[in-house]
Amino acid sequence: MDMKQYQAENAEIQYKHRYWGWQIALYLFLGGLGGGILFLTWVLSAFVFPGVDMTQAFMLPNFIALLVIAFGLFCLVEELGQPPVFYRAYVTATSIIKWGAVLLTIASFGSLFWLLGNWSPESPVLGFLSVFNFFGGASGLWLGAAGIAGFGIMVYTGVMLSTLKAHSFWSTPALPILFTTSALSTACAGIMLSLCGWPGVADMATAAAAHEAHELLHTLDIILAFAELSILLIMVLSFLGAGNRTQQRVAKRWIKGSTAPIFWIGMIGCGLVAPLLLNVSGIPGASTLACVLVLCGGCLLRFLCVWSDDRQPLEGENRYYFRQKHADMAFASYYTKSGKELERGENFAYIDNLY
Amino acid sequence: MTRYAMCIDLHRCVGCHSCSVACRTWNDLPMDIIYNPVLGGVCEGTWPNVHRNYLPTLCMHCKNPECVPCCPTGASQQDEDGVVWVDSKICMGCKVCVNACPYGMRDTSHMVRRFDEFVRKCTFCKERREMEPGADPYCVQTCHQNARVFGDIDDPDSAISRLIGRSDTFRLLEELGTDPQIYYIPDMGGTR
Ligand code: SF4
Ligand code: SF4
Ligand code: SF4
Repeated sequence: MDMKQYQAENAEIQYKHRYWGWQIALYLFLGGLGGGILFLTWVLSAFVFPGVDMTQAFMLPNFIALLVIAFGLFCLVEELGQPPVFYRAYVTATSIIKWGAVLLTIASFGSLFWLLGNWSPESPVLGFLSVFNFFGGASGLWLGAAGIAGFGIMVYTGVMLSTLKAHSFWSTPALPILFTTSALSTACAGIMLSLCGWPGVADMATAAAAHEAHELLHTLDIILAFAELSILLIMVLSFLGAGNRTQQRVAKRWIKGSTAPIFWIGMIGCGLVAPLLLNVSGIPGASTLACVLVLCGGCLLRFLCVWSDDRQPLEGENRYYFRQKHADMAFASYYTKSGKELERGENFAYIDNLY
Repeated sequence: MTRYAMCIDLHRCVGCHSCSVACRTWNDLPMDIIYNPVLGGVCEGTWPNVHRNYLPTLCMHCKNPECVPCCPTGASQQDEDGVVWVDSKICMGCKVCVNACPYGMRDTSHMVRRFDEFVRKCTFCKERREMEPGADPYCVQTCHQNARVFGDIDDPDSAISRLIGRSDTFRLLEELGTDPQIYYIPDMGGTR
């Protein structure tokens, strides 16, 4: 294959392997979702229904938020080259990652203490958890801390990518806005699916307020879906029309290239338009399906964005890595496969598998 | 104050990759890591006026590096003489800096044991100068065409200052504001 033919066939060339894997995409999604749930439950409890005790209605949503944040953090640590020393992330003040780690820690402990303070399980296995009920004394403080940190996490997930100006598709103020909108919308869906669920035991007044909260979140989700759809289309289409070469290449891939089916059918169709239609249709059960679709759409958005890590190639960079990938690897694997022991024989085989 | 920089004369570079081999050997790099790839090799012109352009690269040791402030552990750092390096004992392998570098000059090796990955990059042969003060980096010493010139750009009498002073030079992706400290003298066939 000559270079021209290669370039024609690989307009979407990845000159080097992707640096961040699925763990980071999932972490950004789960962080946004968990942060959004904590933020919204705090806002609803403290400002929308200040006279009603919403604690029991928000037990399951907060429990889910804690679980998704914890799993997101696990993904993040798993992706590290040296997971056992993850605590070093808290050191440098200039690093956005440090602030993310701090916010995630505050949100996790805030929601954990809030849950422990308000949960008195009756089962013999979990009964011992009641000893932590003393945290309940500062319930408002824990939820407030978790809610504010949750807001920070929603914004941070987008800001983290947008500060990396080497990747021009990420480096835009539209990305944090898009991620925050999506985080809020997935959080609405998450809360609607779990409102008043176990382990909460809601009384009549709480259940009535929860019903009202559900209606409110339902309306908010419709507005957010419209907003997200607009931001997403404006961002991608303006990149296509007026972006630099890298932005155009990625936008082209989203709109009519290899990721177009994920973008149009997955994200726009199933993740935004279908939930919108289901939400306004009024069909029984449609809203539950809409929530599930919103969650899937939010997850796809993070994956598509993390996969759009194209960098402006240096002059001749594509050719260099093309040759390394094909010619040099063929050479290296020839010697490995023919049994000639090279000092790093197993390594050659490893690289061979990489591509 | 000392400020290290390098000037690469593309007119002299013949694309032999000796600098890459020297760097790899001296730094004992794993097979999937290269600090100074010689990019390009693109043919230009019409016969008989044809030419091949090469672009030897390495970390640009930017004055305003993207890779240092983003590092959460402080492993990625810059010395007073401008050398940007990673302390492998502190790095936790989060790869934020790898994603932050607009030149693609950092990477982790996949050929080390799991839990033992850290980011590697060109150090301007800092370790060598610590052992032999005043020594040139290995890639500079190895270049038989003297295409790479290394030195203190703040000293107006240094070879590099004089070379940059009398040549027409350019730098890569200057528009990003990184203030890269690798200067290039354009090739005669010039893709620029
Ligand atoms: S070239 Fe990349 S790794 Fe080197 S100093 Fe600049 S930003 Fe950092
Ligand atoms: S990979 Fe290492 S050097 Fe790079 S930002 Fe993370 S901790 Fe810092
Ligand atoms: S200066 Fe040293 S570490 Fe950097 S590319 Fe040259 S030989 Fe390698």
